[in-house]
Amino acid sequence: MGLNDALFAVFALGALCSALAVVLTRNTVHVALHFVGHLLCLAALYSLLDAPLLGVLQVMVYAGAVMVLFLFAVMILDMREQEREPLFSSRGQAFGGLVLAGLLLALLGAALGHDRLASALAPAADPALPSVGADNIPRVARLLFREGALVFEAVGVLLLTAVVAVMVMAKRKLEN
Amino acid sequence: MFGIGFVLSLALSIFALGAFGVAVRRDPLVMFICIEMMFNAANLALVGLSRYLGLVQGHALVFIVVAVAAAEVAVGLGIIIAIFRTEKDVNVDHLSELRG
Repeated sequence: MGLNDALFAVFALGALCSALAVVLTRNTVHVALHFVGHLLCLAALYSLLDAPLLGVLQVMVYAGAVMVLFLFAVMILDMREQEREPLFSSRGQAFGGLVLAGLLLALLGAALGHDRLASALAPAADPALPSVGADNIPRVARLLFREGALVFEAVGVLLLTAVVAVMVMAKRKLEN
Repeated sequence: MFGIGFVLSLALSIFALGAFGVAVRRDPLVMFICIEMMFNAANLALVGLSRYLGLVQGHALVFIVVAVAAAEVAVGLGIIIAIFRTEKDVNVDHLSELRG
């Protein structure tokens, strides 16, 4: 087992544990901080899976920008009263959530074990297949800016729309 | 070396945890974080499949998903704060209407 495998195992375990902590922690600020840890573990996993660009993007966009927005919202909302309430509002709800998660796991696990998917994934199990390689950033760029240029522009329009929508919502509050 | 099955199982477990969180927690911010966790599980599956199938399409798709998720967070948090300003209460069990 090489260094990469050991790192992969450590970060996979970290991602899973921090995901559990997100679901089971009561304090909203602690939830947000556990989620930052989860995102950093995922960024490391992306880098180990030959996607260094996405790892960096994950740290900058998610762990940086998005989580700062979340923490701002937590500060504005002032959750102190919520924290006195029990973590799960009823036993039935927790049971229902467990059933939902179990069904999802069973469904996806069954899909993973299905013959057709297994045969589609068969080349992945072949060690002789050249992997995507760590120097794939030019290929991703070519895909995004040539074949996917229209999608890329559409994402730009979407972000602009979101910014305008948030500004409209904020402005209406000021008029009231 | 960890195979594709390991990566997909990890993504699947994180996705199920996120779904559990959305179903169980009553605080809209935590529900939102759990939804983001499900996004990230899908991203992890895409990156893993790209890695083991030798494709870069998954990377481009993850790029798009991250941008869409950022837009979703901005709008969603705006809505949650707008509701809080009028209702002073953000427990989703107590909120029964969207009209101000």
